[in-house]
Amino acid sequence: MPGATLSPWTMSYFATALVCLVAGLALTISGFGYPSAPIDDPASLVIVHLIAIGWLGLLFAGSLLQFVPVIASRQLQSPHLALPALLLTMIGLLLLLGGFLGLADIVPLWTWALPAGGLLLTAAFASLCWMVAGTLAAARPYSLPAKFVALGCVPLIVTALVGLLFALFLSGLTDDPRLVGLLLSVGPAHAYLGLFGWMTITAIGVSYRLLTMFLLSPERTRGTSRAIGWLSAAALVAAGCGIFSDGAGLPADWPLHLAIALSGLAALFYAIDIHSIFRERKRKSVELNVVASLVAIGMLVLCFVLFAASIVIGNLPEMVMPVAYLFTFGWLTGLGLGQLYKIVAFMTWLEFYGPVLGRTAVPRVQDLVNERRASLWFGLYFTATATATALLILDMPDMFRAATFAQLTAVCALAFEFIQARRLVMVPAATRLPSAVAARRLILPSFNGRSR
Amino acid sequence: MTQEFKELDVRPILKNGGEPFEAIMTAVGTLQPGQGLRLLAPFKPQPLYRVMDARGFDHAVFELDGGDFEVRFTPRRQEAIALSENAVSPELWAEPSVQLDLSDLDPPEPMQRILGAAEALDAGEVIFAVLAREPVFLFPELTRRGHQWVGNFDRDGSAYRIMIRIGKGIADA
Repeated sequence: MPGATLSPWTMSYFATALVCLVAGLALTISGFGYPSAPIDDPASLVIVHLIAIGWLGLLFAGSLLQFVPVIASRQLQSPHLALPALLLTMIGLLLLLGGFLGLADIVPLWTWALPAGGLLLTAAFASLCWMVAGTLAAARPYSLPAKFVALGCVPLIVTALVGLLFALFLSGLTDDPRLVGLLLSVGPAHAYLGLFGWMTITAIGVSYRLLTMFLLSPERTRGTSRAIGWLSAAALVAAGCGIFSDGAGLPADWPLHLAIALSGLAALFYAIDIHSIFRERKRKSVELNVVASLVAIGMLVLCFVLFAASIVIGNLPEMVMPVAYLFTFGWLTGLGLGQLYKIVAFMTWLEFYGPVLGRTAVPRVQDLVNERRASLWFGLYFTATATATALLILDMPDMFRAATFAQLTAVCALAFEFIQARRLVMVPAATRLPSAVAARRLILPSFNGRSR
Repeated sequence: MTQEFKELDVRPILKNGGEPFEAIMTAVGTLQPGQGLRLLAPFKPQPLYRVMDARGFDHAVFELDGGDFEVRFTPRRQEAIALSENAVSPELWAEPSVQLDLSDLDPPEPMQRILGAAEALDAGEVIFAVLAREPVFLFPELTRRGHQWVGNFDRDGSAYRIMIRIGKGIADA
């Protein structure tokens, strides 16, 4: 059947993701892990994976379950895998975190926790790719967003598999010297493939559909968009070559540096594309979610500018972590929060008012949110993130934790705004539904079959 | 779907010293929508490939016994038409009684307008609407309410056209 319906479990993905983000920020504020400890310390790895898998991974997975059918204009393939994939991710992540806490001597170490967690997470991401790639593959001719999202599935699987190898090694289940050699040098590529390979390429693809839709801008394939696709693919090949050469016992930095350089060029072209989409828009007023996305894209470009500058200045080792931090919190998290603000309101509107559209007065989607209040929180979030990055560069960990506290405040406030939107609290009284109806379905789907 | 072909043998024309181009173009002009052309010729008609390509046909060449060639020109698919699974014979639907140009509205307002217009019509009446986007969330809602629809993008993909035939009204869940 053509068309898209609401993805019943997406809100549950989003809620879990937000819990992980709050937990990760709270741990950082408490002084746990980076920057008090090196980034490859097990305590830091707890936070890194809480943010990368728990927050960003579930946020992207939940969004893909909703927007891949929109991109393909057909129903999701194997939608019944959505809930198992969520549960596998949650349990796998808990095991992984338990394993890291064991390595950090905080809880007793269970040897099998890391590999079991890695296996469950790999299974979860494989299910996600099966749903996403299967849905897209059947929707010919392939649109530009579809190609980007499909390309992003490849690094996702590689990231998961490399992570699984890490888990085997860290838990002491293997001491194969070649594998040990690989794992000593492949950490940065693992992070790169997850954060750029999967998430950034996917976000770029989805944004071509969503931003043109929100801005009423023509959706066309530009030369720059094609260039971004090829540059990204080349960057992935370079990163893959790096992993192979690490595995062959010839560790080298240049493949990953080449990959990052190509990604930087892609990011620059992407900024140009977004500028064109923005300039050609028919809708003059710009909503908060678009403003937040534009700030996030600015931070994406800034990441590569900082990276290039640090190569020129020659202080790359000190700059890698601040840049990775800005990439994760400025670009991916900023974009994610900005889009959540719109998606949550839209999905809620469609869920509660879709069935009565045309039959009774309904609120506008904008009536579900309080844009003035939310814009304050977004302002706080982005200011705190930029400040936190600067404090990392200046090596001021105590001040950094204060900036993280401001980030956490903004995230909690935005989470509260999302809940208010879900509960239809801000809707004008004339069109409000009984609050009990909305409250029951805050983060779980309705089980009467309507939303499927 | 098996491809239907109209057959044209230009070997007799060439044998008699004639020029086959006109006969070929006449044959192309009389093809039914979706129909292909099977051309039989004593050589590979290279110049024709580009002409036919511009008219939206792909070609495939097969060598026949005796050194002649069979060239199959297959029309490329037109803009794909999507239709609801309950849609029956859209070509027989009534003329639209409501025409809506919704191409300047933000989503989801086009969906809201179309469903509003549908409520005011009787069963069997037809809405024609133009939108800037494919209304992916509208499709399942129309079907759920018992309406039939067909739709597609225009040639350059800048607008989506949809025809909706109002159903008898299925009770809501």
